[in-house]
Amino acid sequence: MSATVSKTTDRGSGGRPPRRRSGRGILARLGPLPWIAPAVLLIAVVVLWPIYELIRTSFLKISTAGFVRGSAGTDKYKQLFEETDFAQVITWTVIWTVVVVGVTMLLSLGLAQLFNQNFPGRTVTRWALIAPWAASVLMTAIGFKWMLDRTAGVLNTLMMDLGIIDQSKDWLGQPGTAWPWMMFVAVFVSLPFTTYTLLAGLQTIPHDVYEAAKIDGAVGFKTYLHITLPLLRPAFLVGFVINLINVFNSFPIIWGMTKGGPDSDTATTTVYMFQLKSTDIGESAAMSVVNFAMVVVLVLIFLKVSRWNKED
Amino acid sequence: MESRTKRTFKPRTLVITAVAWGLAVIFLLPYIEMIITALRPANELRDRTYLPDDFAWSNLIDVWGESTLGTNLKITLLVAGGSTLLVLLVSLPAAYYTARMTYRGRKLFLLLVLVTQMFQPTALLVGLYREFYQFDMLNSVWTLILTNGAFNLAFAIWILTAYIGSIPKELEEAAMVDGTGRLGAMFRVTLPLAMPGVVTAVIFTFISAWNEFVMGLTLSTEPEKQPLTVGISNFIGNYTVEWNYLFAGSVIAIVPVVILFAFIERHVVSGLTAGSVK
Amino acid sequence: MNRRLIATSAVGVAMALGLTACGGESGGGDGGGDSKTVKLVAADYGDKKSNASKIYWEDVAKRFEAANKGYQVDVEVINWNDIDNKVKAMIQSGNVPDVLQTGGYADKVADDLLYKRSDVLSPATEKKLIPSFAKAGESDGTAYGIPFVSSTRLLFYNKEIFKKAGVAEAPKTWDEVKEAAQKIKDKKAADTPYGLPLGPEEAQGESMIWELGNNGGYTDESGKYTINSKANVETFSWLKDNLVKPGLTQPNPASTDRKTMFEDFAAGKLGMLNGHPTLIQMAKDGKVDYGVAPIPGKTGPLESTLGVADWMMAFKDGKAKKAAVKKFLDFAYAKENMLKFDEMYHLMPVTQEVADTMASDPKFKTLKPFTDVAGGAKFYPLGDTTWDAVSSEIKKSGGKAVVDPKQTLDDLQKKAEAAAEDQ
Repeated sequence: MSATVSKTTDRGSGGRPPRRRSGRGILARLGPLPWIAPAVLLIAVVVLWPIYELIRTSFLKISTAGFVRGSAGTDKYKQLFEETDFAQVITWTVIWTVVVVGVTMLLSLGLAQLFNQNFPGRTVTRWALIAPWAASVLMTAIGFKWMLDRTAGVLNTLMMDLGIIDQSKDWLGQPGTAWPWMMFVAVFVSLPFTTYTLLAGLQTIPHDVYEAAKIDGAVGFKTYLHITLPLLRPAFLVGFVINLINVFNSFPIIWGMTKGGPDSDTATTTVYMFQLKSTDIGESAAMSVVNFAMVVVLVLIFLKVSRWNKED
Repeated sequence: MESRTKRTFKPRTLVITAVAWGLAVIFLLPYIEMIITALRPANELRDRTYLPDDFAWSNLIDVWGESTLGTNLKITLLVAGGSTLLVLLVSLPAAYYTARMTYRGRKLFLLLVLVTQMFQPTALLVGLYREFYQFDMLNSVWTLILTNGAFNLAFAIWILTAYIGSIPKELEEAAMVDGTGRLGAMFRVTLPLAMPGVVTAVIFTFISAWNEFVMGLTLSTEPEKQPLTVGISNFIGNYTVEWNYLFAGSVIAIVPVVILFAFIERHVVSGLTAGSVK
Repeated sequence: MNRRLIATSAVGVAMALGLTACGGESGGGDGGGDSKTVKLVAADYGDKKSNASKIYWEDVAKRFEAANKGYQVDVEVINWNDIDNKVKAMIQSGNVPDVLQTGGYADKVADDLLYKRSDVLSPATEKKLIPSFAKAGESDGTAYGIPFVSSTRLLFYNKEIFKKAGVAEAPKTWDEVKEAAQKIKDKKAADTPYGLPLGPEEAQGESMIWELGNNGGYTDESGKYTINSKANVETFSWLKDNLVKPGLTQPNPASTDRKTMFEDFAAGKLGMLNGHPTLIQMAKDGKVDYGVAPIPGKTGPLESTLGVADWMMAFKDGKAKKAAVKKFLDFAYAKENMLKFDEMYHLMPVTQEVADTMASDPKFKTLKPFTDVAGGAKFYPLGDTTWDAVSSEIKKSGGKAVVDPKQTLDDLQKKAEAAAEDQ
């Protein structure tokens, strides 16, 4: 669609020098429109419209059967904030995001450093690192649920054989053990992308920087701290932001492993939103909107921290 | 840093090699267990053993007959391929123009892209369903192509803008002085140079569309219209979970992606490099 | 604010129509549509391609179309896991089917979405329904739900495990359950002595079975919710202190789904649990030597066990003619069709003629203990329009009652009362 638009307008632009937008060419006169309009349109239809629908739904009174009974005003928000689980869900969402993103970034720094070295089988081992990325997150989560199964899970068997536990445990059955395992899986699936982003960042650091450092007498960890890390900042930031968003919105891991249960004891906001869907769509939409607001706050913080505005 | 000239097995290299290989195995283990489970006969599923007594290779064949997996696979191919193409068609011009020009609303556009990046379909499901119902577009491959495309667009634009921005303008300007139009210059000069960035965008979109679950589940209600991930999860039944078929399907689903990855692993790093220099 | 006002159906319908109209096109007010095409949405009872319900329904549709020239049936079959959410979304967007076959009906009655049963079923067909099930299809005295299939619950036990543990016969009282489970545990005869699936999948069923054992239940005679009644709190306290804490059940009942317990039982790793007819086939496939017995109560076996029915219902706002819907339903409830469906999925009949056929056919022998107790079975408060909402809450948090009985049941009662007030 977009291709045909730009192709037909192309002829008019002839051999005009670029950048001068006062030219006579149709393409030039239309400015950015033919170039970015398709993207804006797609975003508007598939991303912005549902946001509007969502906000509208959160102010509606909808019966269990899904029938719209009229306006609910702000009742659904009040109801949501009064839920006994609400505070706990928000708290866990924050803990979940901070822990998973933090651990992922730390481990990825190490992994990137490791896989940036020259050693036999580097390609093959890097390739193995990709597995959790190539597999669907839901499947990985269900795989771990299966491995942690109380009756037949291979991880239970292994831990029993190694003498770590004396009888097989129902790891995902209670929040105390379910959270650490789910966080483990979340880190596990986030590592490949983050490591690759940091690997890419490491390769942008020119070799002579290290040479210079060597001359100055910097060695080992000191080099890493004072040279590598600061230069890695842009790549780190990219990895950080993408992880932050993915982990905050993370749904398949928790849904695949505990469905947020028992009750809502292992739910984050997105999972809680899904749980509410079966009792009250309006309240669920209100939860989505709150979730949305939290994302907006994250975006604002990111803009501030990265000084995104100034850069352009 | 290690010099590239000679492979000397110093103790340090030995340790690094051992650790790296150890980690590689750890990363693969869960998937190996899935493969083992996929090959378990139904009556050995709940045995506490590392390996089954018999390997039921027939599971890998039976799974096709026991489900709509074949159709689901076709739909996933169409959706992943279609949305990747859509993302390329839409993001390339936008990224190119944004990287090369300063225009009014450029900042706003970049902000819009950033905000889109921050959203995931999970949070918007109710809205998405209602919208596509109104368009009468449920149970359609086109809907899944559109939605998967839209939610992956931001990342593609981001990476491509950064990558194209890193290609010197002068090359293009030289071509344009030679009488090639802007589009010609874009296709003949910039695009080939931007290939690693394009490859990265392609791989990201493809994988994320290939593995997408929540939208497929919501926007397609009929088993024959659902993508592979949803089809596989239908093995989680009302009374039992057919773990062996579930994982047989999952393993089959991973294969194409792993092959794709194996081919272009190198490009992914260089593509991401540009994205992270920005 | 003006909840009462909305509750009065006239205003409710008027408002509703206005609102659904903007969500999508809606059919006529109360006369149904004018199409000869009936749209059927049904749950999938199958677990593989070869026994998908779609095959069944498409076959019924084909024969119906052949027998009634000019009429057509559109079949859409949805996975059990998703059907509730999908149907909700359909209703929300005004895209209702003509006929729906799923787990519950009363929540749709609350919004006046359904035809009365007598509107869409000929008297001859309606008369075929087994009275106890027919009765369960009534909401506030008017019949809307048409029972489609049913099942009852009995105690399943593994004979081999019982023998190994030295348990002579199936327990009849709670104390005997405890005693048998303790023996199984002491002799290490099974991984799990007693299976108690109170996870989100079936918490409402398992809870009710136990509550019935102490003459409790979800509602009183007048239909008011009594979730936190003294009897119910006592039931869960007993469970907590006598089965869960001593480790006679699996570790975390509140997060255990029924299917995990069924799988364990079929693999011979579980001593006993409450199950329904589907478990017969599973146990047979797993070569488990099982027995069934009445469900133990506090002082003796239950006289009336839990009965569960799935429902058929017809939407007023569908696009098909009322007469077309009626024609189709009468066809679908013909003896051969019903029998075929029940046989396909090991479920129990809802019409007398099918029940009679099954009783006389040795092929259905294993099902007999279950059909025998169907007559006196007790149901969920199915006709209560708030039941679906309350049931969702019980599924979500009800399992916690074996951790903190009073608190959990009090919370649920509060939610149930709020839901009732909201109607």
